[in-house]
Amino acid sequence: MRLIQQAKQKLNIWVLLSSVFILIILLPTMLVAKHFFAEPNENWLHIKEYLLLDILSNTLVLIILTGVLTTIIGVSLAWVVTAYQFPLRNFLKWALILPLAIPPFIGAYTYQGILDYTGIIQSTLRNAFDIHVDQKYFDIMNIGGAVFIFTMFLFPYMYVITRSFLANQSASIIENARILGGGSVGTFFRIVLPISRTAIIGGVSIIALEVINDYGVVKYFGIQTFITAIFQTWSGMSDLESAFKLAGTLMVVVILLLLFEKFARGRKRYSYSSTKIKPITPKRLTGYKATMATTYCLAVFSFAFMIPFIQLVLWTFMTYEKIVTVEFFALIKNSFFVAAISSILIVIVAVIISNYTRIYQGIYTKVIAKITVLGYSIPGAVIAISVITIFVGLDKYLMSIFSYFQMDPIIVFRTSIVMLITAYVIRFLTVGYNSIEAGFEKIGNSFTEASRSLGVSTVKTFFKVDIPMLKGAIFGGFILVFIDILKELPLTMLLQPFNFFTLATKAFRYANDEMVNEAASASLIIILISGICIFFFHKISEKGSGQ
Amino acid sequence: MFVQIKNLKYQYSKSAKAVIDNFSLSIKKGEIVSILGESGSGKSTLLRLLVGLEMPSSGSISINENIIVDRHHFVQPEKRGIGIVFQDYALFPHMTVTKNIKYGLKKMSKMEKQKRVDEMLSLISLTEYQNRYPYELSGGQQQRVALARALAPAPSLLLFDEPFSNLDAHLQIKIRSELREILKHTNTTSIFVTHDQTDAVALADRIILLENGIVGNELLPSELESSNYMLKYRTGLRI
Repeated sequence: MRLIQQAKQKLNIWVLLSSVFILIILLPTMLVAKHFFAEPNENWLHIKEYLLLDILSNTLVLIILTGVLTTIIGVSLAWVVTAYQFPLRNFLKWALILPLAIPPFIGAYTYQGILDYTGIIQSTLRNAFDIHVDQKYFDIMNIGGAVFIFTMFLFPYMYVITRSFLANQSASIIENARILGGGSVGTFFRIVLPISRTAIIGGVSIIALEVINDYGVVKYFGIQTFITAIFQTWSGMSDLESAFKLAGTLMVVVILLLLFEKFARGRKRYSYSSTKIKPITPKRLTGYKATMATTYCLAVFSFAFMIPFIQLVLWTFMTYEKIVTVEFFALIKNSFFVAAISSILIVIVAVIISNYTRIYQGIYTKVIAKITVLGYSIPGAVIAISVITIFVGLDKYLMSIFSYFQMDPIIVFRTSIVMLITAYVIRFLTVGYNSIEAGFEKIGNSFTEASRSLGVSTVKTFFKVDIPMLKGAIFGGFILVFIDILKELPLTMLLQPFNFFTLATKAFRYANDEMVNEAASASLIIILISGICIFFFHKISEKGSGQ
Repeated sequence: MFVQIKNLKYQYSKSAKAVIDNFSLSIKKGEIVSILGESGSGKSTLLRLLVGLEMPSSGSISINENIIVDRHHFVQPEKRGIGIVFQDYALFPHMTVTKNIKYGLKKMSKMEKQKRVDEMLSLISLTEYQNRYPYELSGGQQQRVALARALAPAPSLLLFDEPFSNLDAHLQIKIRSELREILKHTNTTSIFVTHDQTDAVALADRIILLENGIVGNELLPSELESSNYMLKYRTGLRI
């Protein structure tokens, strides 16, 4: 009887909606698993024998080197900015987040443009100083170059996570280490690095997932990875089966990475803690130490933001008359339209799932929460081939219905934007969910419980109490998802309808067609919008956390 | 008896020991009962079971001869007609005092709702604060608004979870006597859970001692001072 009572209590609109959404999120993974274990074709045997090892080693080298370098740069910057007071610190504290506004593929072609034969460095050397340098010294279109690009534009993930951790979690430990006479370097290696372990592992796994998901940098630099191979087998060779097998192998890599993260973290979690623990009081640096700290931070900021940004501004001035036409405004409209619609949908789905997982506790809700969070680990290209397969299947089904009723068959989904938006929702739901879940956590359950004890149903409570109180988290989630979609490349490349371009895909197409200068205007708009959003988001969330 | 709790048991699925075990209690209409126990004794779980936010493993609860939970019934929290004042008050921060109090009023015309809000505001002596938001009120004022909000729909039973723990000492004394007066004036059957003996003595008609989820002694407020509970408390022993 208790079971029936429990079932009756647990069966409600929230569980039904959440289950449907989770099923949609799981579809790509299930499809990949189904094809992964299917009978292989000849193409796959060829890929396995001649390509797979290269693809795997390239991917691993990129992950490991980028992981190490972003850790060194991100953690050291976070430590310097948190623990010391030096000239320009307040500006740099925020400025060092800004490289996140530059999608790595834009950074890649900008640096290639700066360094190539006609770029500003070589032409200045030739024209002003008559110096002719061997091209090999300026060649970044290789794995080393890709690692440099990923490091420069992904290190802020590490910086933000570690800085937040250091600022909130560890003031007393670090201050004690100082009082006990540990020097700056000693404190960093003996205290800061070990206690930041969970934050560092969290940062490394986010960065590794970004590297795995990348298409723009590796394609532009001609490096073979899983994503380029999936593109090639599917678009180039029209071999969906092998693309699925590659996707399946990539998912194995992702799962291993997540297991590594879980294992390395143990039971600890890093968090953007909002508890009001006293932050570290920064120590004032003087003399050469202050100069060194400012120079180090400024140097990283210049390479990761200012230099590519200025170059893009210059290229925009050179080309805007040709580029900024009616068509360009249509690009902006397209980008904003898909990003806004998808972000709204994601926020709605995220609010429903997180409301369900917080009100109703149990194993099922835990599984739902876990699956929602895992969505971001699935690379865009993997989602893309699964989504397209599902929609092509739906179109076939519709066509058979049309022909049954002797109507003219039309393709509904394959050519529509619905497919792209669905894929965005699956890929970026995690981002929205994390933000809204954090919001719910912050407000707690007592308001909802108070409302229910006053005779108001969960649905009505949701609209009258939860939503108004969650406004900030909903807006934050929307902004984060919006900029992620604005910058997105692989998914959009694969799923954009015919003749439909976004700012990101157009910029990449120009760059790929050796029209680097022409790619600047679209890139600059992405960077400006993302930069403003990122800056204000972090400023507001830091203010909210009492720092 | 107006409230009847019989053999109530609650156990977490992974735990070997019950949080609430074989708890029985009867309360008369208009009576104020204090449940006194240390933290971890199961006080808050008991309130959550009464209000319907948790489902008991066994046992039954009935109010005014209506069963709200037993083997065959489970009335959802929003349909129980039981009010609760939370430890942190849980006043909706985006609503004014008036809107907070009006929130639980249903099946009334606009005028009737406003009349009820005015009655409540005068009861808690905060008429001039009706358009303020919770953050514009002091701790004591917030506590009174939370009480008015819970009282407004005329609940058959009103529960209080450590109602004074967030107040300064001098405010606690003032609010205690005010609260008892209001509850007696409105003839509201109430249960307080608290770990503070002074709260229990000042407010309750009857005190129930709770130890590890099991009902211990039942005392009159005047008997608490000379009880074993106080003896153990003073000598630092756990009850």
